[in-house]
Amino acid sequence: MTRTRAPRELRTIGLIGSLAFAFPGLYLIWRNFTSGADPLSLLFDSRTLEPFWRTVRLAVLVSVSAAALGTALAWCTTRTDLPFRRLWRVLLPIPLVFPTFIGAAAFIRTLNPGGLANDVLGAIGINETPELRGLFGAWLVLTLFCYPYVYLPVAARLRQLPGSFEQSALILGDTAPQAFRRVVLRQISGSLTAGTLLVFLYTISDFGAVQLMRYDTLTRAIESNYLARPPMAFALSLILLIFAGLVVLAERAVNRRLPEVTSRRISQPVIYTLGRWKAAATLLVSGTLLFGVLAPSAALIDWAADGLLRTQRGGRPLTINFSKVIEAATNTLSSSVLTGLVALLAVTPIAFLVGRYRDRTGRVAHSIVIATFAVPGILIALSLRFWTLKSGFFGDLLYNSMALLIFAYVVRFGSLAIGTALVAVRTVPDGLHDAASTLGADRWRRFRSVDLPVMRPGLLAAAGLVILSTMKELPISLIIAPIGFPTLTTRIFGSFEDAFVAEAGIMAVVLVCASALLSWFLVLRRADHL
Amino acid sequence: MTFVAAACGGSEQLQIDGLAAEINPEECVDGSGKEVTIYSGRTENLIEPVLEAFACATGVSVQVRWGSSTQLALLIDEEGKRTAADVFLSRSPGPVGFLESKGLLGTIDDSVLNLVGEENRSAEGSWIGFSGRKRVLVHNVDMVPEADLPTSVFDLTADKWRGKVAIPGTNGSFVDWFTVFRDQYGTDVAAQWLNDMVDNDARYYPNNRSIVEATGRGEIEMGLVNHYYNYQEVAASGDEHRARNHDLDDDDIGSLLIITAATVLDSSKNSEAANDLLAFLLTEPVQSYFTNKTFEYPLAAGVDPNPALPTLTALEIGSVDFDALGGGFEETARIIELSGIQNQ
Repeated sequence: MTRTRAPRELRTIGLIGSLAFAFPGLYLIWRNFTSGADPLSLLFDSRTLEPFWRTVRLAVLVSVSAAALGTALAWCTTRTDLPFRRLWRVLLPIPLVFPTFIGAAAFIRTLNPGGLANDVLGAIGINETPELRGLFGAWLVLTLFCYPYVYLPVAARLRQLPGSFEQSALILGDTAPQAFRRVVLRQISGSLTAGTLLVFLYTISDFGAVQLMRYDTLTRAIESNYLARPPMAFALSLILLIFAGLVVLAERAVNRRLPEVTSRRISQPVIYTLGRWKAAATLLVSGTLLFGVLAPSAALIDWAADGLLRTQRGGRPLTINFSKVIEAATNTLSSSVLTGLVALLAVTPIAFLVGRYRDRTGRVAHSIVIATFAVPGILIALSLRFWTLKSGFFGDLLYNSMALLIFAYVVRFGSLAIGTALVAVRTVPDGLHDAASTLGADRWRRFRSVDLPVMRPGLLAAAGLVILSTMKELPISLIIAPIGFPTLTTRIFGSFEDAFVAEAGIMAVVLVCASALLSWFLVLRRADHL
Repeated sequence: MTFVAAACGGSEQLQIDGLAAEINPEECVDGSGKEVTIYSGRTENLIEPVLEAFACATGVSVQVRWGSSTQLALLIDEEGKRTAADVFLSRSPGPVGFLESKGLLGTIDDSVLNLVGEENRSAEGSWIGFSGRKRVLVHNVDMVPEADLPTSVFDLTADKWRGKVAIPGTNGSFVDWFTVFRDQYGTDVAAQWLNDMVDNDARYYPNNRSIVEATGRGEIEMGLVNHYYNYQEVAASGDEHRARNHDLDDDDIGSLLIITAATVLDSSKNSEAANDLLAFLLTEPVQSYFTNKTFEYPLAAGVDPNPALPTLTALEIGSVDFDALGGGFEETARIIELSGIQNQ
């Protein structure tokens, strides 16, 4: 196995990419200096520490449960004879698309006392539903909305994993669980830790779900200090970012000890017969969808239906019409798909630097990209505004442009793609590469004919994560989008803010359907790897 | 959103319909070549017809960035003198006070300022109120009989209401309200009231909308909110929604009117069109629209409030000099944080 130095062009691209991702962090440091913030003293203040520890507690719990749930779902839908696997595969990524400010509200609307579930259960004599709130409520809703961060990359990896190892283990007398632990878990561990890290970082940056569940974390403290005490908000954000950086470094330390992954395109994955476990597996998958997709969707559909019925009865007309919804949906789809592609272009070079060449620049870039995921979206938006205004002519050119919007989205969500892209790079067998090299294929040819085909499922999963997340993004869409570029999420926000629940419901249903459509495309595209 | 009336020589005339046409039934005038850019913390659903009518009536081309008032104020602060915004519309006075403290607000023409009462505009001429929302006690009609309802926020600290009152502790309009509370009664009394509410197991919710929704379901008995959300919920869900507004006494701090505010940015290069827009917000058709269609309180042009709204003789937030408050919003934020309401 030969390890060559990274090509200079690749390192340059990686360096530029990491600089772009460093904008929000540099902005925060700058703001801390210029606003006279004192993050150090806050660190030892109990009023900071309490929300901080609540944030950590929630993030750990959500990470563990989302990792377990995501892996279980990925295994059931890729490696077993579970009925309706295709359907589940289309539906399981959907929770990713709920903007938490309305997704969590809809979840509460369905499940909390007096909600829709209450009405249904009342018919069979159950009149009490528990009030979801606090740590439990936040944990539940975030687990359900975040498991796709683990599910998508792990499922992509499982689908590619050669069956021969497992077969050997089984032949040598391992039971299926033993084979899973010794072989499968080792082979998916890279995807699993990368996905879990995203869950952790998303949880510490989330504001919508924790505030509606009334669990007081660091993001709430940041949010209510923006106008009243800006230095405090900047200092707390910096603490959040530094903490995220430490977690990223810790994950890398763990990841370095994980076994090398391998892949052989030709081999068939092992498909297990569930037998008497079929009912349990079906229950797990359908239960996840019941709470993760149907519960929030029920409230959204209820709101939407109320509004449509109301207009039929001659009540207050809706403030949106068909063309407005189509306009917003088109903007949402075009900007998010574009973001998915650009994000791949931005992070794949870094993934190559780290995965193929073990390049130090690449490793630093990789950490920066991932840690940025913990920065609240509004700060990313403000930081990009700051940097474009500071950069003179170039900034004027970008101001109010689509390019800047896509750039901001990529900075926000590139982290989602990089872990999966890195695993994809590592799945390319070195031997294959060396053989192609010996046969005289140049670098570009090797990339196209060797790397790309092996990496494709992983890269598609990476793009899928970015696209579904971009579709729900709010603060950047409001602050950075060119004037006159409404997305579904910005229109949902505007309606929901003023309790126009029918309008918000209709557009949220459209958002969910659009995401299902995209998810279906992704699943179809990968069909040749099944 | 962009509305562009016909440019010079253009053949296309701006067409408006629906609510916008009700506000301005006249045919649209030709494009004047003037333009104005608005950052609006008031949402599209409520304001778009007004802005369309303005573009139609004046020929000014209107561009809008929609968002939350807080975030847009942060954006304007970040953009400073180079902001694209000529006008900032805010849901509540807090974000406007923030921009004023940063020296980013310009001075509105006297002719526009005089359209609205002195109590609803800034003494420095930097902002005007253009509609109002009243603080009320929203309550679930099945859980709390009308006759039992209190008359003052000070009653809510009684044992009778233990664990039954929702407070949007960190929400913008509550923070503004609490700042006025401090101004009227002194910081000690206000802070004591909030601490007593916490001791009485008042329950924290993040915003007005979530309180009104939870009250409608019966998750909580009552809550301190702006009057306006319950009208929207009732308009959307009818009788299924089991919450109604209750007015506290007219002279109680719990009946405060909180204004929505409009400002012109100091850096605006279109201040003439910006002032025209502010004046338009205070005309009779627009004020009628606000009270009849969006259930808010009119502040100008002699328009009477929608008869469906509770009567109004209460304090108005505009009469408060924020600068005179020791520590202003910063101190308010500190008191709220210290009360621990966010953990209730």
